Amino acid sequence: MWDIVFFILIYGFIMGAIYLLIALGFSLVCGVLRIFHLGYAYIFPLTIYGTWMFMRELGLSMIPSIVCMVILQFIVSYLIYKFIIKKYLHDELTLLTALLLVALIVEQASSWRYPIQEGVYLETTLISGIVEIGSAAIPAQLVTGAIVGLVLTALFALFFTKTKAGLAVRAISQDIDSSRVVGINVESLYILIMMIVLIPVIIGMLLVGPVWMIEPGMGWQYMTIAILVAVLGGLGNIKGTIIASFLIGITHATMCFVVGEPRFMNLSALILVMFILIARPQGIARSESLW
Amino acid sequence: MVDIEIKRDRIVIRYKGKKWDWMIEPRYWRNAIVWTCVLFVFPLVAYFVSPGLINTMVTANIYAAIAIPLSLMTVGTGRINFGPNFYVGVGGYTAALLSIYCGWGPLTTLPFAVILSVFAAVIFSPLVIVARGLYYVLLTLLLPLLFLEVTFIYTGIFKGDVGLFGVDLLVQFENVKLNFIMAAYISTGIMLLYLLIVNKVLKSRYGLIMATVNDDEEVAHGIGVNINKVKILSFVCAAGMIGVMGWFLAHYFGTFAGITYLPLTFMLKILLVFMVGGRAQVFGCVAGGYFIAFLEMILIRTMGQFQPVAFPIILLILLFVLPSGEGLFGIYRKRHYREYLPTIHVRR
Repeated sequence: MWDIVFFILIYGFIMGAIYLLIALGFSLVCGVLRIFHLGYAYIFPLTIYGTWMFMRELGLSMIPSIVCMVILQFIVSYLIYKFIIKKYLHDELTLLTALLLVALIVEQASSWRYPIQEGVYLETTLISGIVEIGSAAIPAQLVTGAIVGLVLTALFALFFTKTKAGLAVRAISQDIDSSRVVGINVESLYILIMMIVLIPVIIGMLLVGPVWMIEPGMGWQYMTIAILVAVLGGLGNIKGTIIASFLIGITHATMCFVVGEPRFMNLSALILVMFILIARPQGIARSESLW
Repeated sequence: MVDIEIKRDRIVIRYKGKKWDWMIEPRYWRNAIVWTCVLFVFPLVAYFVSPGLINTMVTANIYAAIAIPLSLMTVGTGRINFGPNFYVGVGGYTAALLSIYCGWGPLTTLPFAVILSVFAAVIFSPLVIVARGLYYVLLTLLLPLLFLEVTFIYTGIFKGDVGLFGVDLLVQFENVKLNFIMAAYISTGIMLLYLLIVNKVLKSRYGLIMATVNDDEEVAHGIGVNINKVKILSFVCAAGMIGVMGWFLAHYFGTFAGITYLPLTFMLKILLVFMVGGRAQVFGCVAGGYFIAFLEMILIRTMGQFQPVAFPIILLILLFVLPSGEGLFGIYRKRHYREYLPTIHVRR
């Protein structure tokens, strides 16, 4: 009995911390830009397949390939902001459709150039082997991912609460017009947010890439988790996102260790989200504020 | 008693203080008659020229017949449902399972497909009341994806990996081409019926009430509209109509696989039918359905393996260049009768 509780807590914690990496960016885009960034799913395959592309096509080694991929991500993100988000900010249906199309283009292009038979694999393992915590054996790479997830979230929280730029972003998330009145450069902060939300996803994908499955359509699966976490936490609220990530992580772990059916993971998380939304329609935390 | 009054350009029916108008002036019929004739002649021409085109036409009708109720749902609920394919899945699986396990034919499975789709819509209908903006978009987007997971979890029932096969066909003549022609006419009939119903509803007094809800729920509530009733009715009726298309797909192909209709890619096609065709008029769904289906077919024939990449790129470009909201139908129809566009208020 206590073994199961221990497994649920430890795996729930590890998964929750990794879900934080996946969902933090999505929640921030939703909270600050007040848009539903359906194109978020493109970041996941572009991280893996972009790095692989630089390695295969240009013959670069791992680190330069990752650097080139990060630059590519920044460029794509900027172009998305400039030509889609900025242009259609007030025509939301067109905006969402265009963002979905971008994600689909990246997925299909990855699938066309590097089909699943290509066996794309990035050797980004930082620590190999198994970590034993009590009777639980966890891949060391996932433990590393969890620690990085927590550290990054702490850095984000510090950025938003302690820096001037963070304060300005929080102001924008609450009222754009008033922020403009007090002299905040809203557009440059929008671009900044579009850039920094890439960081947790890129780091997260590079860390879990060697352990979790890689395929061109993986972005939709990860985005499903990001959506569940963001909605449950209250869109854009970092505190809510942290709580929701661990709640979803624990729900997933419960499905694995109590019900014994990992395939119920997302279904159980959705049911949890729906029940919580009925009681608290705005999610766990207030979605009007970032922190 | 029912009072029927025939005027120069319309028939007016009055019953217990309520009034219905039916426009009969032939000059309003011209375009509708021309296009209906084109749709009915097309399969016959294609039969002799290129029979493969009949299949593309059926696909176009299916896209349009899903997008038309989605249009009704969007206006009536004031929210855009990002998971209409969930009801395609419900209708399709109901028809396929009943046909395979009970040996029922298409006509017997149809009412059950509708009932199950409506039942599923009733269960999820509180979403249109409790969730709004981003939350509604997110939750409706997840429904078909989770249904897809269920089909994989209970693969013994749903055959999530390969799909159900052995469903009774819609029509079973010895000549296969004749089967396709019949299916084309049935799909055209369903699509035109949906078009007629939805167009009449949107132009009626009830359509005006729905538009009010779409525009501003608080104001609609303030002027005495029962907004919950309007939203739930629009949601449930449209879901039932979409469920019929699931039934059609199952019996048309003789198979039904959730992996084809439940992922985001299929939903995106429906959304694009709605967007590229034009949101301002329900007829835009037909223009969009035909455009998307024929574009897809042409790209498959000309680009082969590159088609899945080229298809979204072309649609993204179209989204940029077409008149906002009016789409392809806006180019065809210069005068715009409806001044408002259905909106989704995600940022609200």
